[in-house]
Amino acid sequence: MNIHEFSLFSELYTCYYQVIARILHEAAHHPLTRRQMEKLARQYGYDESVLSIVPRLIEGEWPFFQPDDLVSDTYVSVLKRSPFPQSLTNLQKSWLKALMSDSRFWLFFTDSQLKELTEALSDVAPLYRTADFFLFDQYGDPDPFPSVMYREHLLLLLHAICEQRFLSISYLSQKGKILNHTWLPCRLEYGQRDGKFRLYSMTFGKTGRKRIDVLNVARILSIKNTDRIYPAGVDIERFFDRTLCEKPLVLEITTERNALERTMLHFSCYQKKVERLKKRGIYRCTIYYDKRWETELLIQVLSFGPVVKVLEPKSFLEQIQKRVQNQSLLQQTTEGSFL
Amino acid sequence: MSKYKELIRQFEKIRSYVRDFYVYGFKTRDDFYEKSGRTYDNHRRRIESWFSDYIRTDQNGHKKSVFLTLDSSRMAINPLYQSWKSKTFTANDVCLRFFLSDLLADGQLRNLETIADEIQKYYHCLFDTQTIRRKLAFYEKEGLILKKKEGKQYLYGGIKPLPHTHPNLFPALWLAVSFFQGAAPFGFLGSTILDFWNKNNDFFRFRSDYLIHTLEDEILLPILRAMEQKYQILITVKSTKRHHVNTTAVTPLKILTSTQTGRRYLCAWQESSRRLSTFRLDSIQNVDLHKPDMHYDNHMESFQHTLPLVWGVSFGDQPKIRAETVTMQIVLDEKEEAFILTRLQREGRGGSLKQLKPGLYEYTRLCADATELLPWAKSFTGRIHSFHCSNPAIEKRFWEDMQKMQEYYFTTGETSQHEHP
Repeated sequence: MNIHEFSLFSELYTCYYQVIARILHEAAHHPLTRRQMEKLARQYGYDESVLSIVPRLIEGEWPFFQPDDLVSDTYVSVLKRSPFPQSLTNLQKSWLKALMSDSRFWLFFTDSQLKELTEALSDVAPLYRTADFFLFDQYGDPDPFPSVMYREHLLLLLHAICEQRFLSISYLSQKGKILNHTWLPCRLEYGQRDGKFRLYSMTFGKTGRKRIDVLNVARILSIKNTDRIYPAGVDIERFFDRTLCEKPLVLEITTERNALERTMLHFSCYQKKVERLKKRGIYRCTIYYDKRWETELLIQVLSFGPVVKVLEPKSFLEQIQKRVQNQSLLQQTTEGSFL
Repeated sequence: MSKYKELIRQFEKIRSYVRDFYVYGFKTRDDFYEKSGRTYDNHRRRIESWFSDYIRTDQNGHKKSVFLTLDSSRMAINPLYQSWKSKTFTANDVCLRFFLSDLLADGQLRNLETIADEIQKYYHCLFDTQTIRRKLAFYEKEGLILKKKEGKQYLYGGIKPLPHTHPNLFPALWLAVSFFQGAAPFGFLGSTILDFWNKNNDFFRFRSDYLIHTLEDEILLPILRAMEQKYQILITVKSTKRHHVNTTAVTPLKILTSTQTGRRYLCAWQESSRRLSTFRLDSIQNVDLHKPDMHYDNHMESFQHTLPLVWGVSFGDQPKIRAETVTMQIVLDEKEEAFILTRLQREGRGGSLKQLKPGLYEYTRLCADATELLPWAKSFTGRIHSFHCSNPAIEKRFWEDMQKMQEYYFTTGETSQHEHP
């Protein structure tokens, strides 16, 4: 058997099966009404899935339910148990096995857990070898994943996120100052480009107002658990909403040097809108970006040179103009460096 | 006329539509002229349904463009994985998926006849034994069911899920899967594991995550197999510029991944031209295993030898590479702009950096194809004291680009027009 002969595009992973499994899981606890089934189908299915799934469940084409004898208009599952958790396929297990050779994998486990997992997957072939891939443009200073201290810190952070526990953290700031503070870890962000984890954590300012701080995990010097548990959930999405740009970046893009294709891929990670202008070969791209990453976006735009032109907003345009002007001045003072 | 269905039989048919809706977004019905309007309408409706939260429309005169737009850094799970979860199935498929799992979950081994009887007894459904046998064989191959011979008959049993057999591994394994579904090749499989465990990714987000690569994952499987077995493969490639299709024999050596564009490339030895070549994975339409390559290790050695000279994915002129030298002097204020120095060091891909005098640094790198370095060099616009390349055409192009930028932004105090191609 070769693991590479299996298909990713399989009925086993189909969205409808997952919707049905979630409905059956709920039904393992109590009978369901049609409305409850529809709500689950809308939550976990595609936009129109509810129209295909629920009638078939109710009418018995997919005979997993029968009408409840005790309460009218409710349905009970014919299964003996909840379908969760499900056993994994060979393909899924071989993916897990492949992860074990990734230097980041051990960050999530204790030594004894790694040993147990190695034994559990001992007869599984890896789907790929990490060495088969080469990230040719990743920055040269990723986080120190093999570091024992780094691993200890990440494990503590993950536990704290799960438990909603405040941690007492000693942190080396960008300016070289050591900060000692108590933070509630909320979420980790990983940047593939720089190979770094960032921690989004909540803390209380001097006035008692909540704020979100972003810490580089590699800059954490020490972590101590505290007894404080935060009882409520933290709506971190609100923080992201506040950091969104007020005015989007508007670019004009030509098709010269395959620029359209290159820019569209390059900016595909942003929320954007592209319009084809009446002028042949000119496109307008509107990018909604996080203000925190404005400099990064500016650098990306500059890297395209003259095939991309900034139109708006004024503040962004001024930054580009300043750099181009600085370059012009540099060229004027440097003889022989350009044509 | 077949009725519209949300699910599909063949992934390949919709791959390019998803890509166009996500990457470009400005195309209208008229742009999809290779297929009928009805085909476009059905695919558009599917895509609107699969990605309903991220679909937007734009009306331009009589023409409407539908596009998929989202900020990937705010996604818990790559929404494009939904495309892989759209395989159609039959009523028998879905019934037996849940009945067999439920029946065999008790750990007892049963023969085929008993299974058929118990499905009828407990779930009030009658299936012929051939149908059940075929499904059991499928599940056994997929690793979901155990098959054991006892006497003259086969017995079947369920396999206990990891959370039950290895509770000590949780929640660590759930956390790891939550992370790697967004940070490892074939992350789609990680998302299906979360599905199978009824879990979400509540912990991680992925900055500057390029989501589109998932659409190439099926093509990647046979390539990785060939790499493992040191095989040559036949690849069918559709040129992204000229759109012609070509089949060629190559020996796959490495998958080159860009973290800055999300593009992935196959680097392979091409025997016909006796050189290392790269192919964008999204341009490869088909892969067939061909034959063992007895010289695989030599090709790999050649790749490893050349790699330090490669800036991106171009291996330049071969077999004897005439490396091009790029030298760039950058001005910066060490106290206030140390981050520029950090950029040169971390993004310089092995180039050398030396201080010429306070505030002036010289970066030098040998490149198999220095054209590839130009975008990075241009990202320092405003600080480039000098730029030299041993290939005069590249140096000329760099300074022409700088000149054009100055014209665009400073002609008569207004921004000038883009040149038409």
